[in-house]
Amino acid sequence: MGTWVGLSCVALALWGITGVTQKLSTNKISSLHSFVWFSGAFVLVAAVLLAFVPLGGQLSVTTIALAALGGLLNGGGALSSFAAFERGGRASIVIPLVSLYPLVTIGGAWLYLHERVTAVQAAGIACALVAVILLSREPAPQETAR
Amino acid sequence: MSSSAPASKNAASRFPAWLWLSILTMILWGAWGIQSKLIMETMTPLANQIVFVVGLVPPVSWCLLARPRRAATLSRERRSGSVYAFLTGILGAVGNIAFFVALATGGPASIVVPLTSLFPLVTVVLAAAWLRERVGRAQIAGVGFALVAIVLLSL
Repeated sequence: MGTWVGLSCVALALWGITGVTQKLSTNKISSLHSFVWFSGAFVLVAAVLLAFVPLGGQLSVTTIALAALGGLLNGGGALSSFAAFERGGRASIVIPLVSLYPLVTIGGAWLYLHERVTAVQAAGIACALVAVILLSREPAPQETAR
Repeated sequence: MSSSAPASKNAASRFPAWLWLSILTMILWGAWGIQSKLIMETMTPLANQIVFVVGLVPPVSWCLLARPRRAATLSRERRSGSVYAFLTGILGAVGNIAFFVALATGGPASIVVPLTSLFPLVTVVLAAAWLRERVGRAQIAGVGFALVAIVLLSL
């Protein structure tokens, strides 16, 4: 098992906690307001990193633009999901649909990065997609599973 | 003209704006997985996290322009909501770094992205334990599928 598996699980755990803190936040303030504070924290983390990580002059404009594109894709995705809810999208449809984003990555990785997956990994991907759809299903009001 | 108007209205009801916006979200976040893997070839994960913030400027600017003006003083409720949002950002940023390092240390995007997309597993468990939210049968099945997926993806 590669180090990357453990690191992926760290990301999974931290992003999982953000699911709770984000809910606590949007119970009290709007999604847009919450996103501004969320991004403010990113600026703080970036400022701390900047004190220790010299960016130097070795980075080309293209590299910087490609790296910044990450923030745009991520932040743009957050805004379009907020807009989907504002335009009447039901959480029971929007969240499972959006949760299928790994399919886009897998398709792109196959096409552009020439990544190939084993049969076991393909089974894992299928399980993961089923899992995220099921996890995003809100329980019915009368449902008492626990 | 008169016949195309009902047809376009019909198409709009079949493909409402929220559906397109949901698909757009899926594409943007999916593309982020590819972009993250590509950038790791030329940049370190920490440097990438720094420059990532630059890309947040347009969406944050849009939020600042779109949201209604608020009173200068923060109510206790709003202050606590803002603190949680800020905490979400700190955890999210550190999570991003782990994600970038996973990609930089040889993790394929087609495995790391589906693996990390299982984060609702942690959210559902924590929401049940911490917020006392009810967990449905579908979510319990989802936890099972997620655990199987983690094992299979890590083989």
